[in-house]
Amino acid sequence: MTSTRRDLFKLAGGAAVGALFTPAPWRLVTDTALWSETWPGVPRPARGEIRAKYTNCSLCPAGCAVRARCVGEQPVALMGVLEHPFTHGALCPFGLAGHHLPYHPARIAQGPVKQAAAAIASALARCAANERIAVLDLRPGRTASWTYRRALAQWKNGTYLTPPRTLGGNLAVNLAAAKTVLSFGTPLLDGWGTPGNVIAAREGFRLIQAETVESRTAVMADQWLPIRPGSEPALARAIANVLGNQPLHDAALETGLTEAQIVAAARELADNGPALVLDARERPEILALNQLVGSLGHTIVMRREAPVPAEWKNAVAATELSAVPDGSVRVLLIDESAPGPYLPWSAVEKKLVAENPVVVAFAWSGEGYGRHAQFVLPTAVYPEMVDDIPAAVDSPAAMFRLSAALVPPPADVVNPAEFVAALAQISATNTLRERADAIHKSGRGTLFTYADAKSTALKDVKADGFWKALNEGGCWMDAVPERQEIPKLAFGPPAATLTADNLPLAVVMAEAPAGLGSPILSKMYQESNLRLAEDRVVLHPTVARECGVEDGGRAILEAGCGRLDVLVCEDPGSPQGVVQVAAGPRTLDLCGSSPRAKVVRA
Amino acid sequence: MRGIFPFAAGAAIMLVAGWAGFPRAIYKSRPQPVDFSHKVHADKAGQKCEDCHAFRPDGTFAGIPTLDKCAGCHAAVMGATVAEKNFVEQYVTPAREPQWAVYARQPENVFFSHIAHVKRAQLTCDTCHGDHGASDHLLPYQEDRVSGYSRNIWQTADRVKTTRAAMTMSACVECHRQQGLEHSCLDCHK
Ligand code: SF4
Repeated sequence: MTSTRRDLFKLAGGAAVGALFTPAPWRLVTDTALWSETWPGVPRPARGEIRAKYTNCSLCPAGCAVRARCVGEQPVALMGVLEHPFTHGALCPFGLAGHHLPYHPARIAQGPVKQAAAAIASALARCAANERIAVLDLRPGRTASWTYRRALAQWKNGTYLTPPRTLGGNLAVNLAAAKTVLSFGTPLLDGWGTPGNVIAAREGFRLIQAETVESRTAVMADQWLPIRPGSEPALARAIANVLGNQPLHDAALETGLTEAQIVAAARELADNGPALVLDARERPEILALNQLVGSLGHTIVMRREAPVPAEWKNAVAATELSAVPDGSVRVLLIDESAPGPYLPWSAVEKKLVAENPVVVAFAWSGEGYGRHAQFVLPTAVYPEMVDDIPAAVDSPAAMFRLSAALVPPPADVVNPAEFVAALAQISATNTLRERADAIHKSGRGTLFTYADAKSTALKDVKADGFWKALNEGGCWMDAVPERQEIPKLAFGPPAATLTADNLPLAVVMAEAPAGLGSPILSKMYQESNLRLAEDRVVLHPTVARECGVEDGGRAILEAGCGRLDVLVCEDPGSPQGVVQVAAGPRTLDLCGSSPRAKVVRA
Repeated sequence: MRGIFPFAAGAAIMLVAGWAGFPRAIYKSRPQPVDFSHKVHADKAGQKCEDCHAFRPDGTFAGIPTLDKCAGCHAAVMGATVAEKNFVEQYVTPAREPQWAVYARQPENVFFSHIAHVKRAQLTCDTCHGDHGASDHLLPYQEDRVSGYSRNIWQTADRVKTTRAAMTMSACVECHRQQGLEHSCLDCHK
């Protein structure tokens, strides 16, 4: 019997059909899926002895104390330090997954360091008398910030730029003293300040949340005042009028609240003190309510800065971006290594000289200012970086704590402060230790060490012991000064009223910008819309219909500064006339300076 | 009729290979370094699971005991078995740690907390490990050639009936669902 080619094909066909009736192909599909979870390239925690290392999370200014469970040298889980007198063992979800960041797909590990240095040197050589070199520091108050200020003092027009802030510098919030808090859109229970401190203080105050959307803080507040978008200053004025026995005029119409609601909120602030008024955008005309309700010295307190060596005092002062003449910055260096408030690019760009400005961003990913800079120089990311974390907005006392590296950074990363110091030819190699010594010399405050949960008066600790404790997990807390002489909070000019023109929707950014988080978190938060991704907008179904877009469809978000492709999510809970967007560099660039937008079909 | 024969032969070969050969071929097998008897240790020495598989003071699970724990009793040969004699000669005397293959080892992307299951949920060891604690010999360690997962995790016929032998996510989810304890992905995937 001879076999033909046809028989062979039949045999193969039979084998293929037969295989379908065995477990083999189905099992291989599952096994391959399982294999793909751990295939080469997926970071693998080492096996070995488990031990604890301590550090402080530098992903936001809260600087929560962290206990890292390490296998060998590799952190595999992060948790809080329960006994910490201020952070109370809490970590937010970003902090809990912070050890994933070195493996983030958006991570930059190499950059054109030499080319950037050459471009800066050549730009400085061309710098005219009315032009300047500026450093934009998103998290002022660090030791690195002092290095920038000292370095900039070496140039004639060196300018040190910081994001505008009223609270968080030498004025801090004492939440523990508050009995009533009126918050104008501040995400007080969702990322503001230090989570552990906010949770610990929460029992002690009644929270009234005045906000257009029912944010997570609004949901958890004792009372939510659903105000019209952009009517926060009007509500603040109305409350001031009630407190000053003045008529309310048409405040109810402007804010969308009833007069009784406004009067009740004002009375509560006056009668159930100490009170505190917070505003998400720190508008002076709103924060000045604190003066009327007697917050200053009680819930808003003066805070000393952590001491610095006397020889550092030859440094330039901080300048707000708005105070810098347009078209005057020839070299702009932006330190994004320690995340802070993002200033819309349009506001930054207009300060640059018209021809060939040099913009260098120091960042661990190119998602922020890296999109606009000529050079993006890679920096270490938490928990690789060594940096200090100044006290958060809700800490009445100064603090000094280090984010000590849990893992080594890649070889080619740049230390932004050392880079700038080298340009200015000043020394900045041992600044953290120098500052720790200056604090030690002051003899003020206490040292809390994480491993043994002990507080020791600083005067009882030796300088080397202090430095060692800071590196191994410790926090210095200043003594709160007894006398509180607080400068008056000025009522600024009222913010410009929003005009409808061709942008019919008010933009509401419900959340504080958080920067890039662990990819796992992005998946959980953003794919589930628990926390909006930058490419999503939320609209009321009626608004969506009016815009000609539908749930899950693509659309274009148009605002004063451009357009962004977005995905539409309909939510009947979203107010009419509003588009909710996530706060992130792209949306802030687009909507930051013009809080109105429109959504059109893509 | 002759025309269908090659097709049928191909199907038959594959059915035999798929049902009889594949389930064996998919696993590679290696023996444990020492033939350990849980039964002897439980019955004769009166040991409980937690005497050797203890929690550390910080709450983490120590897993398989290290050699010094074994050497505490077996510094010299105590019994008459060949396995014990080999163990003392090859491992205890030269202070060489046995390279145990851990049946229950989790893949790298999963965090499993023993203390949460044992102390908080009050699960007994045999809920997941079956009658492993009463076994007289250690089974060879079988590893799926493709996924890299161990085969004999549960060691309990009950679980094998309801799930695959390996500890896949669906098995964890199934049990958590029965207990009304579905939480977030981050509980296990940290
Ligand atoms: S609140 Fe800030 S510092 Fe604290 S864990 Fe979260 S990201 Fe880190």
